[in-house]
Amino acid sequence: MAREFQRGHKARISDLTAGTDLYVGVQISGPGLTFDISCFGLDADEQLSDDRYFVFFNQPKSPEESIQLLGAQAGDTESFRVTLDRVPPQIQKLSFTATLDGAGQMSHIAPGYIRIVAGGEEVARYAFDGSEFSTERAVMLGDFYLKDVWRFAAVGQGFDGGLDALLKNFGGEVAEEEPPAPEQPQPAAAPGFAPPAFGVPASAPAPAPAPAPAAPQPAAQGFAPPAPAPAPPAPVPSVHAAPTIVAPLTPPGGAQVPPPAPAPAPYGQPPQAPQPPQAPYGQTPGQTGSLPPGYGQPQPPQAPAGPPGPPGPPGYAQQPPFGQAPGPQASYGVPQGAGQNPGVTAALQQFKETPTGQRWTQQNKKLVRVDLGVAGQPVLARQGSMVLYQGKVDFSYKGAGFAGRIVGGATGQEMQLMRCTGQGQVFLADNSTHLHPVELQGDAICVSAENVLAFDESLQYEVRRVEGHGIPGGALFTMQFQGTGTIVVKTHGTPVVLPVTPTTFADCNAVVAWSAASQVVVSSQVRMRRNAYPGDTGESVNLQFRGAPGNFIVVQPYEV
Amino acid sequence: MNQPLAGYAPAPVTARMENHGNHMLKVAMQTGNDLLARVGSMVAYEGFVQYEPNPPAVRQIARDWATGEGAPLMKCSGDGLLYLADYGANVIVINLNGDGISVNATNLLAFDAHLSWGVERVKGLAKFAGQGLWNTKISGQGWVALTSRGKPIVVDCGGGEDETYVDPDALVAWSPNLKVKGKRSFKAQSLIGRGSGEAYQMAFSGQGIVVVQPSEDSTDRLRIRG
Repeated sequence: MAREFQRGHKARISDLTAGTDLYVGVQISGPGLTFDISCFGLDADEQLSDDRYFVFFNQPKSPEESIQLLGAQAGDTESFRVTLDRVPPQIQKLSFTATLDGAGQMSHIAPGYIRIVAGGEEVARYAFDGSEFSTERAVMLGDFYLKDVWRFAAVGQGFDGGLDALLKNFGGEVAEEEPPAPEQPQPAAAPGFAPPAFGVPASAPAPAPAPAPAAPQPAAQGFAPPAPAPAPPAPVPSVHAAPTIVAPLTPPGGAQVPPPAPAPAPYGQPPQAPQPPQAPYGQTPGQTGSLPPGYGQPQPPQAPAGPPGPPGPPGYAQQPPFGQAPGPQASYGVPQGAGQNPGVTAALQQFKETPTGQRWTQQNKKLVRVDLGVAGQPVLARQGSMVLYQGKVDFSYKGAGFAGRIVGGATGQEMQLMRCTGQGQVFLADNSTHLHPVELQGDAICVSAENVLAFDESLQYEVRRVEGHGIPGGALFTMQFQGTGTIVVKTHGTPVVLPVTPTTFADCNAVVAWSAASQVVVSSQVRMRRNAYPGDTGESVNLQFRGAPGNFIVVQPYEV
Repeated sequence: MNQPLAGYAPAPVTARMENHGNHMLKVAMQTGNDLLARVGSMVAYEGFVQYEPNPPAVRQIARDWATGEGAPLMKCSGDGLLYLADYGANVIVINLNGDGISVNATNLLAFDAHLSWGVERVKGLAKFAGQGLWNTKISGQGWVALTSRGKPIVVDCGGGEDETYVDPDALVAWSPNLKVKGKRSFKAQSLIGRGSGEAYQMAFSGQGIVVVQPSEDSTDRLRIRG
């Protein structure tokens, strides 16, 4: 359960979750407002002593990648991955902030939140809305801070001045031109501005006073490429030990930084050139959206609602190169062109096939395409699940063998399978059930046989028995799949994927699959009063799951 | 009380046929622009709409429609908004704009009456499926609505000699200029009752598309009820 935080609440991370690999999501929005959400890695004095720990859209990760910007996802305006045990010791506090980009004030924001997600489960949430703020233009939403152990605090403190005030608060400086008094050109910028300490800037012209409504572009102007202390730039002779030195963005010609809209633009400007060691800043803004794959998600089914988006490439020509590897049927890639009628094309565009070169591709929630040409090995699929295929594919009966039939008959875990061999692409679906390809890499998953749609023949499977009293028939059987390959699990309706916690229970009729490392215990809840009602069998047999963090179970909204 | 339901009010009409959600079709009816719809597919209407089941013209065209018990189409005429659905199937709206499309009979929901259309039996396939496979070929300037059990997928046949094979139960529609063949997987083992479950397919070749639903449920629910 997510714990709801109020402003000022604090808690130990270890009380929230056992994990240290956390996902931090921020949702903040408002009519006509755009926000820059960033994370400051502060030292013990709450100063931004190392600019490489200012993680924002133009610097999407810290040097050792303990803090990574992930971009908008899962309903969050911005999200971070924070690996607390990899945060270096000098960083004592991570402050998550949101600053307004452009005009506006924080009192106009819609209800938003900052939340912590661990292992796919939200463990903490601090919700806020515009009524908590007034004319602020920046807000510190929450902190991770190290006080013996890592803790989380819901802050909700606003700043009138936007990002520059925030930076000053953290000891960094914004080197920006005063709007009324453009500075003189400063080609060898840094020396003039090297402040001895973090506090108030030494030189007058440098930072704008905090409330600078005339230049409502804190993000755009702010945070000019600083010269990081560990590697003082060559042309800056007089750098002190001061780690944070912010140079003006002023180009040598003295041109103003364009204040308005597109924030990323100024970052790519040439004035950065005089300061060599800017590696992290040189990243193109386009990187901000890049998402490290598989973050914090042990298995693909964690993202069941992730069907491929609407296919991008227009037209029919997007048929992927069929039989990618040594496929002889190259002619499948022939563009379709004008032979097709525009009306039907336009109407059906949203249902186009999704092209990829992968072996298993989810076409939409209910359709999966397997490309037999990739890896070339056969696929076993439930009989009758093929809806369409292209290429030379052979479907043959897959017997379970004599022993398999005996076991299957006795346990009910019998699968009517067919083997698909050859070269080509097979589309599999079954009765409008939701499909979830799960990629196994040496690990194992338990799936009840009736929820298996298809799997690579390279996977080994066996019937596993869940013992326990109280189960009708004496025991419960399931199929365990193991090895390297993909298995497609089908569920009726959108399933829920629960992480295994000390108290995870599921109805044995609704549970579809679970990671095989979790231990299954049958828990019978016998309540005399409930069972006394006629006709009420009660939810008497539940399965309890136990396991290390990272295990999960999949439950469908459909009790078979 | 209306608060939670407020989001489901009909959107303003912008076209002759529109989706209301994924599973419902909204048709803007006008006098003189009649509609042919599956009998029993109407779920609501607003305005003055009249229904004529089994109109003579339709009977003429569809006289040999599978069961022969009259065409499962009704003519809707009048002014108003007409809402159609087929037991929760996804509805796909197509503006033909001069194109043509062949639709499996069960997957047809409604189309403009002025379109040129005809019912034909898919050659070589009648002996496969129990009910035979009937399809309606529609072309012209107007709108067609199809149903699909689950979100469909559109596959391009590629245009070469290579064939695309489709389970007839999952087939929704295809381009009428495609060549259609029946294909039976003849295997000794399938004769002794150990088939792969995929006994027969339809093979499409040529330039065009095939629309397939993610379900092998080809039951005609409207007909069963009616």
